[in-house]
Amino acid sequence: MSSDTLLRFFLAIGIIALGAAAYWFFNQHLLIRAKNNIFTIFKTLPNKPVIVYFTTPDCVPCKTIQRPALDKIKTLLGENLQVIEIDASERPDLAKRWGVMSVPTTFLLDASGEARYVNNGVARVEKLMAQVQTL
Amino acid sequence: MTSQSLQKVDHSALKTNQLIIISLNILAFILNLSVLAAFVALVMGIGSALKVPGFGFVYKNLLKPRGWMKPDVLDDNPEPHRFAQFLGFIFMTAGSVSLFLGATVLGWGLVWLVVALAALNAFGGFCVGCAVYYWLARFHLRGFTKQPPAGTFPGMKPKAGVRA
Repeated sequence: MSSDTLLRFFLAIGIIALGAAAYWFFNQHLLIRAKNNIFTIFKTLPNKPVIVYFTTPDCVPCKTIQRPALDKIKTLLGENLQVIEIDASERPDLAKRWGVMSVPTTFLLDASGEARYVNNGVARVEKLMAQVQTL
Repeated sequence: MTSQSLQKVDHSALKTNQLIIISLNILAFILNLSVLAAFVALVMGIGSALKVPGFGFVYKNLLKPRGWMKPDVLDDNPEPHRFAQFLGFIFMTAGSVSLFLGATVLGWGLVWLVVALAALNAFGGFCVGCAVYYWLARFHLRGFTKQPPAGTFPGMKPKAGVRA
């Protein structure tokens, strides 16, 4: 492998790393945004993990996948988890503040109100469960 | 958000196309093979002409039959994806021509731009070319008639559940 090829290889790695970092920062930005807007939903912190679920009435995957997944999680965890559903078509102000671009979108907040995960799109039971267990 | 009729679009074919474009372009850069970048441009151009994902044949003939990649069929508009590929073809062609003319910084810059946009689509689910299409449709530009699927931000991948 010539030195020029090697240089290009490392340059490519650097560019890819920059792209990955940009994506990571975008997700972090969404989480910070959620944290800063937590009191747009709560008056006081609920002191337990919360899933904030953005949906709309005409969202088919929300009805067929996301809602059943959240119901199952809620059944499994009972009072140890709060699920808050927000209709983005009724509350576009909240969707905008939280940076929601599509539905379903779920934010997972820990007991201190820190936004720890954001799922843009359908998040299945296994994924949500794995995320909730780390809160 | 309208009551327009959507079609079945297999997003696995689109994703395969994007991943191959990304891989070949990065390989072209590392090996300094402008001819490989030109090949990618050519395949994207053929794909645009045939209204299919350029490298979709790899998915159709290899990955899907062997079960290495499962179909991800969603109700969506195929037109914005075709437009996005056509935009990619334009950028890749401009990049390849620049490389052959010796304007390497511009050439590789355009190639990396295509890599970035394809990666955003493949890993982030956001299709910039589709967003441009929907943006042009808002101005009632001739040929740009489709609206984003209900509940979907323009350019974002429609969500799972609306399956064929």
